[in-house]
Amino acid sequence: MTARVLPLNRVDEFVRRLLAAAEVIAPRRVDGGDVFYGPIASPGEVAWDYSTAVEPLKRFLLPQREPILRFSTNGKLEVRPEYDETERVFLGVRCCDVTGVSVLDAMFGGEIVDPYYMARRERSTFIALTCQQPDAHCFCVCGDAGPFLKTGYDQQWTALKDGMLVEVGSERGEALAAANEDLLLPAQMEHIKERHRLAREAETRFGEYHAYAAAAMRKLTTAEVADEVWQQAADRCIECGGCTFLCPTCSCFTVTDRWEAPGRGVRERHWDACLYSCYSREASGHNPRPEGADRMRGRFFHKLSHQWAQRNGRHACVGCGRCVVGCMAWSHMPAVSEAIRRGAMP
Amino acid sequence: MGVSPSRAHPVSRGRLCLKGWHAHELMDNSSRLTRPLVRRGGQLVEASWSEATKAAAQGLRDVLSSEGPEGVGVLGSARGTNEDNYVLARFARATLGTGNIDCSLRLHCFAEPMELNGALGPSANQGLISDLDDSSVILIVGGDPTEENPAVGAHVHRARARGAKVITAFARRHALGRVADVHLPVRPGAELRWVGSLLNVVLVEREGGDELAALRRHVAELTPERTEPETGVPAAATRRAGEMLAEASQAAIVICAAMALSPQGSEAAAALGALGRVRSAQDRPKFAVLSLLSRNNLQGCRDMGVTPYLLPGYGRLEEDADVERLQRAWGTPVSRARGLAAWEMLGRVKALYIMGDDPIRALPQQAETRAALEGLKFLVVQDIFMTPAAEMADVVFPAAAFGEREGTWTSLERRVQRVRKAVDPPGEAREDWRILADVSGSLGKPMPYSSPQDIFEEIVTHLPLYAGVFYPRLGVNGGVRWQAPQAAAPEAPAAAEAGFGEASAAAKTNEQRPLLLAADPTLGAWDGEVTVSRTLSVAAEFTVSEKDYPTGMLCVSPADAARFQLRSGRPARVVSDRGEQQMRVVVSDEVPEGVALVPYWQAVRMQVMAVVTEPKTGRPLLAPTPVSVEAPK
Repeated sequence: MTARVLPLNRVDEFVRRLLAAAEVIAPRRVDGGDVFYGPIASPGEVAWDYSTAVEPLKRFLLPQREPILRFSTNGKLEVRPEYDETERVFLGVRCCDVTGVSVLDAMFGGEIVDPYYMARRERSTFIALTCQQPDAHCFCVCGDAGPFLKTGYDQQWTALKDGMLVEVGSERGEALAAANEDLLLPAQMEHIKERHRLAREAETRFGEYHAYAAAAMRKLTTAEVADEVWQQAADRCIECGGCTFLCPTCSCFTVTDRWEAPGRGVRERHWDACLYSCYSREASGHNPRPEGADRMRGRFFHKLSHQWAQRNGRHACVGCGRCVVGCMAWSHMPAVSEAIRRGAMP
Repeated sequence: MGVSPSRAHPVSRGRLCLKGWHAHELMDNSSRLTRPLVRRGGQLVEASWSEATKAAAQGLRDVLSSEGPEGVGVLGSARGTNEDNYVLARFARATLGTGNIDCSLRLHCFAEPMELNGALGPSANQGLISDLDDSSVILIVGGDPTEENPAVGAHVHRARARGAKVITAFARRHALGRVADVHLPVRPGAELRWVGSLLNVVLVEREGGDELAALRRHVAELTPERTEPETGVPAAATRRAGEMLAEASQAAIVICAAMALSPQGSEAAAALGALGRVRSAQDRPKFAVLSLLSRNNLQGCRDMGVTPYLLPGYGRLEEDADVERLQRAWGTPVSRARGLAAWEMLGRVKALYIMGDDPIRALPQQAETRAALEGLKFLVVQDIFMTPAAEMADVVFPAAAFGEREGTWTSLERRVQRVRKAVDPPGEAREDWRILADVSGSLGKPMPYSSPQDIFEEIVTHLPLYAGVFYPRLGVNGGVRWQAPQAAAPEAPAAAEAGFGEASAAAKTNEQRPLLLAADPTLGAWDGEVTVSRTLSVAAEFTVSEKDYPTGMLCVSPADAARFQLRSGRPARVVSDRGEQQMRVVVSDEVPEGVALVPYWQAVRMQVMAVVTEPKTGRPLLAPTPVSVEAPK
């Protein structure tokens, strides 16, 4: 699967062709200046010059509220599952976010296959855009998820002077390249060298946040973290759910049924957060994780322990830094990971 | 459907609290009111808009003719938009001709400065939330912002992460208190006394400076050593807090909304607010004073005149110019009556019109509130859910919620922002202002507004304070803040004249009643609140006190638990001179010795706590009450 170059003056045409065949999700600048991943209607809407999007790709594979089946009781009971079978291309999305999808794949495509997630996932193509200037809150190097990826993408584009270097990482990516061969040129050695140079340079541009996941994983997995650390972390958490909802790899949900009209209803699943006090509260009133400290321990065990990493194929932090942005107190991944290593929260 | 944060917003900066992430669950919620209801044969039955509007108008007309305008009252909404509240103020003063207009949640606000000190000026913060970002010392008094206003709490946590020192002063060692550099467990009822001793350290110990000379004189004798026995705060700790504040080049004082519900809380807030006059070496205010509000549009509700003693835009009832301005705008006479407050209306008016307000939850002595509502001749409620008041109503109108309509809200920073429509309201629900305009039309006083923008243009034209709030800029990046006139904080607030609480607001404990029971608004702060209790994700998080402690959650310290043989999860009989209540115990090291805490929202249902009346405003407040506590045999 050889690398190609898509000249700058052919990028829009490539995007037009994508739009003709699928829904294209790309970074878009909205009123006020935020950048969100969202469907585009024309190539001009892609915000190629963005640093990071407010939210990860999760919403397109696991929406905040998702109908999973509809039921009606008029006459006889009918139950119909509902799947989203839209073809989607995710264009210009960040490497950390693409890596996050691989963790969701382990959750929903592992021993128990989730048909709702897989219906979307199987119809998704990921074209990552490498990051040359991380945001202040980024630490994807700690998450082994960027700023440039070695594997784990369908295509990975890097913005060079003359155009986009197109690396191919899967059969799907290769098929997409082959179908648009008329727009592409073979990549030369100078392009490859430039790509590697940009990767090395990007790695020097990170800010103050980091999460030395390996060290944290060791301490966590071998039960070397004192209870006191979890209590301190819980004291710095208001259980808003922000870290959970913004995290590319978090996927917990709850299920509810709702009537829409007499005799007609819908079963939905909604995002849930393991930090919520009632997340695991049982109908009897018993709560296996009654204290905030218990829930913090649970969350970070899921993110960083060796046991979970074995299941996921990797630990569950991609270093996107969104928990740093979205935390309403001070219990995000860098803060807690440091506390795990050092024995106390700041 | 879902919600996303905005990094570009100057206050939230990409963060949302629990309620924020799930607010959209209000919208297609199957418990929403969707059709007008009219009481027939003792039952509320569905009706058309035409029938319900006529019924509402007829009922009000009947009471107006038999009781006069003094016999009707109107309650407005701290969660509704500015436009809704402005139209409600017009409905009250122009259509019904009454001055009885208020919002129950005004009970939870500090008394207006003009009432306490005679100073002119609207109730509005001069300080900004972003002032916290630059402060090296932050004092948090009277509550926990991470609970009441998480958006503000987030700024405190980030300042702390950057090295700012945090001092918390509150009876309970709440979440922020557990991470603060200094936590001061101020005994309930002694808040004003403690503030005096803090000011003693800050003002008296400082070198030079002529600001607040009068105040300095008043606190000269109130040393921390002298007040320690009443406040329960070790003198050295108060001194340390005062010194930290005095030495900071830039500091912030956050006065939490919960403090407004303490007796003398208003006076304590006014005294702290006086620090806003101190200038730094750079000749800027050294102390940013930020007074928090307990609802999204409580500021806007006040700005729009949902108060019995002010006109919209803080117009004065006695000022001919202010009255005439509105009469010209509305084309009708306007009542200049100084009306009854929400807590005074119940039991005195014969008809009530409630828009997006919850008097049963908000007012103390819940049994009396319910009885008063039941005793009305006529009651109209317009809201998004069937509230307890709506269940008693003669006419119920289904209202559109946020996200289903356009409008504006004004934050505690005076920030006016648009609330945008994302989905259609469910069923036949309509915007509040539109419902009011129709009822007003049926009463012979049409209100020809065509849209919320139309109403807003009128507000901007006729309310001088909102001039310059340019509608097109209200939709993004935090909107526009209206300009607060530079009304200086009073030099010596009334609290100082009163000797900084010579008598503590709490009666003394004794052998027979050895514990001081206080109602804590920060415990279960959102339990039972109407928007929270019907939204799935949020309701689950705010049900502990109701589900597990329905008769009352009594929080005591480990020392007191040992002393009185109380155990977590077990019942306890609490007795005061006023009455008694059997509650269930939580033993917690967050509670100081000698004090027992119960959620305010539960205390209002009980007959245990003493009720005191705030002088000048008449606000009824639950006072810390000496009690005995025993485990039943």
